[in-house]
Amino acid sequence: MNPFIFNCPTKVCFAEGSSSSVAEHLADLGAKSPFLITDEFLLKNNIIAPALSALEERFGKVSIYSDVPPDSDLECINKVAKNAKDAGADSIVAIGGGSVIDTAKVVNICLTLGGDILSHQGLNAIETKLFPLIVIPTTAGTGSEVSYVAMIKHHVEKRKIVFGSKFLAPDIALLDPMMQLTLPAKLTAATGMDALTHAIESVVCEITGSSFSDALATEAARMIFKWLPVATADGGDLEARSNMLVASCMAGSAFSNAGVGIVHALAHSTGARFNTHHGLTNAIFLPHGMRFNQSVAQAKYAQLSRQLGFSKTLDDNEGTATLIDSVENLLKQLNLPSRLELIGVPKLNESELQQWANDAVDDPSTMFNPKELTVQDAIEIYKRAY
Amino acid sequence: MSFFANTQELEMVMKGLWTAIKEDPDIAGPLIKSGLVVRFHYREPEGRLTVDCSDNQNMVIIWGECDIKPDVEMFMKSEVAHEFWRGAVSVPMYLIAGKIVAKGPVNQALSLLPAIKPAFKKYPDVVQQTLNRTLVSK
Repeated sequence: MNPFIFNCPTKVCFAEGSSSSVAEHLADLGAKSPFLITDEFLLKNNIIAPALSALEERFGKVSIYSDVPPDSDLECINKVAKNAKDAGADSIVAIGGGSVIDTAKVVNICLTLGGDILSHQGLNAIETKLFPLIVIPTTAGTGSEVSYVAMIKHHVEKRKIVFGSKFLAPDIALLDPMMQLTLPAKLTAATGMDALTHAIESVVCEITGSSFSDALATEAARMIFKWLPVATADGGDLEARSNMLVASCMAGSAFSNAGVGIVHALAHSTGARFNTHHGLTNAIFLPHGMRFNQSVAQAKYAQLSRQLGFSKTLDDNEGTATLIDSVENLLKQLNLPSRLELIGVPKLNESELQQWANDAVDDPSTMFNPKELTVQDAIEIYKRAY
Repeated sequence: MSFFANTQELEMVMKGLWTAIKEDPDIAGPLIKSGLVVRFHYREPEGRLTVDCSDNQNMVIIWGECDIKPDVEMFMKSEVAHEFWRGAVSVPMYLIAGKIVAKGPVNQALSLLPAIKPAFKKYPDVVQQTLNRTLVSK
């Protein structure tokens, strides 16, 4: 067995209505002056109301920043960090999707350590405990509520800035399915496919994966295949929402330890250029990425296929093909686009394609992939996915 | 116990290795093209090495303190560096374990890993020439 490390520093609490326990949890962490980060939609539609009123009851007036864009950038980070400092914040609550949670993680660095945010970018570069951070995810996909990584866009250089450290992991993740009831069907489907990508990619990360991450990823994949179509068809189905929320968190914990692979690398390069939705872009690349990895990872794919009940065969090629078919069928069932062209990616000329492929190959996610990705491989996948 | 008895041994090997890399256009080429300044901070024993490719023309290797501002800084025990150059380190695993700290735009730095892998073959010879020690392959 390969040596491995498995960490899950975030305390995960699931309950219907658990968002209203945020103040109590925050007080337990010693906070006195929390700062709330969310987005405009959640604020305007009173989705954060239970959490906000609990916070105000306990801590008095709470400062809020609600203008986090879907793909947060440095400009936003600097603005939020200044607001939080001016408000004298000693802790952060994030209520939202991946962008809000990643923003909160990076703002927490600025708030705790000060200095230029770019001086803190890197892997393991943050070496001290940060201020308390509680997150309440309102989508089921990113896994950011338990991950140690945050990615922020450099709005000038049009590239992603990576922050990775065990100290970035939130202290507590409150999983409250009531917060997801208004999530539109398309977003439910796309974010759910992000979670499925985390699960499937982490299973084939041979070097860093373990039985712990495999167990979480496999169960997450099972729950997603079963419940994502239900949550997408009926957003008010609390059982489906609950299962998706938990599955996404489990897949988040799996990939935080095992890593992700080329599907994420290709999606990062695409998203940074064309502002495509991360989950949707992952969904399109996922079957292509699996086919690319098949020659080295078919045993793992086939095992997953059997564990999910998609195939009974001991033939790994056949098992892998069945799993890929199941992913493609899920995409169809969710009525999600299956080609890059359909999500607004323009047809790239040779030089643009080369640059796009270079960025994909340079993405840190490729480091965990079981098979090395070359620029030519990336270009071929792009052409097939287009 | 570290493979390197002291900073002097570390300096001899790392400078020797990077000089060998600089002299091999196949390995040095992609590094120079990157235009990056990478600084390695070693501990136990202590040492600091800067590889400056900022002019996209040359690779300048500086041991010890210098005023050049690095783009990327890598922090690790000298033993980790030794194991890395022997080809015995899984970088993803070491990053997850926190045994390697990378500060700066890590995407660019990590993308150079495949380019420097051929230098692993040079390492035993460098160790032999500088320290007169033979490495047993792992």
